[in-house]
Amino acid sequence: MTRRLAGFLLRSAVRRWPAELHDELSREWQAELHVLAERGQRWRMLRFAASLAVSRASEPVVDRPRFDARARRTAATLLLAPPACLVIILASGLLMNIAVNQAFAPAQWLIDAQPSILAVLTAGLAILLARLAYASAVRGARTGPVRTALGIVLPVGLTAVGAEYALNSSTDDLIRVAPALLVWLPGLTLVLHLVGMLAGRGRTRAAWWTGVLCALVLADLAVALMVINQIPGGPETIVDGVAQADTVDRISAPLWLFTSLTDSSFGLPRPTPSEIFLISDLVELQPFFYLACTPYALAYVIGAARPADPVAAPSPVSSRA
Amino acid sequence: MRMTIPVAKVLSALLADAEAPRYGLDLMKLTGLPSGTLYPVLHRLQAAGWLAADWEEVDPATAGRPARRYYLLTAEGVHAARQALAELRALAPDGGTSWGGAEPTGVPAW
Repeated sequence: MTRRLAGFLLRSAVRRWPAELHDELSREWQAELHVLAERGQRWRMLRFAASLAVSRASEPVVDRPRFDARARRTAATLLLAPPACLVIILASGLLMNIAVNQAFAPAQWLIDAQPSILAVLTAGLAILLARLAYASAVRGARTGPVRTALGIVLPVGLTAVGAEYALNSSTDDLIRVAPALLVWLPGLTLVLHLVGMLAGRGRTRAAWWTGVLCALVLADLAVALMVINQIPGGPETIVDGVAQADTVDRISAPLWLFTSLTDSSFGLPRPTPSEIFLISDLVELQPFFYLACTPYALAYVIGAARPADPVAAPSPVSSRA
Repeated sequence: MRMTIPVAKVLSALLADAEAPRYGLDLMKLTGLPSGTLYPVLHRLQAAGWLAADWEEVDPATAGRPARRYYLLTAEGVHAARQALAELRALAPDGGTSWGGAEPTGVPAW
């Protein structure tokens, strides 16, 4: 059984090499496998065949321990960063509460400014996380813009869904945020891919500007979609002659992301205070999650797209390959 | 030839006894490299003309096993490998490079 499995792995490995080498490689590896089989070294047989089956044929070879360390660092960063974004939001809320509660009879402006303070704290801590992510990306595994973008977005998506479910203990609320996430996550993947390509060509400044602007538009779109999907836009319902303030006028849609982060209409007539309440009550965590995640996602993809440093020494001798 | 640590390990193992032909499992044991890393390195060294490969002259029926493939540095490979490893050692900080047990220590053995 072990011999058959090893044989299967070897055949799979041989197929990945150039066709003209198939016969010789197959013969050579089968001979080594035969020696291991005769010695009864089943695990070594499997390791021998499996290593060939999973390695890159005829590609530049990297030092495996160094590659493994890079892969571990990359995995740890990409898996831990999204939960760290949640911690950032919680810590910002805690800091804001401490600051406001410390003020004896806090002024009304301070109370009104709470969402803005929360947003500023979240942005500040997110930038710190982004610096760590950038440093990790520079020393991490190089996987190309597509894989890097997917590697960032998949854990972010899982964390976003998990956080919404944990906050509300109900799948109904997942349906509430679904339109936003269905736009934001694939959109972020595309943005990160584009940013990675720009950074890979050495256009780091353009990558940053493109990333920030696209991410902003994307987050705005996601928030707008969530509101449009959940809150009617027509005239307010009238019950017993009293307007119920249960609608949000679509004209202020581009502002809703910033409104939900600050509870402000920025001096404009729309959204009205009742609309601001409806918007903020609906979107809850989402805008702050976008704010916490976007800096590290951009920083990581730009850091990972930087041209790799050479592994070791120069090649002093001419080859006749 | 792009010099990487696995390439340096293989060259170092082959130079330890440049006259001795080595087969794949032998080199895996000497360098500590897995097969998936070793064979691409051997292929690149062959392509560069640093390494020659020959089939063992053995009758499989008599030996009870298939013939193995042996690798030996070419004259050009010996010269080039010595030079490349010497330059690599000169660049490496003291004690900063691990060769996985296949390292030359002190005066080179070749």
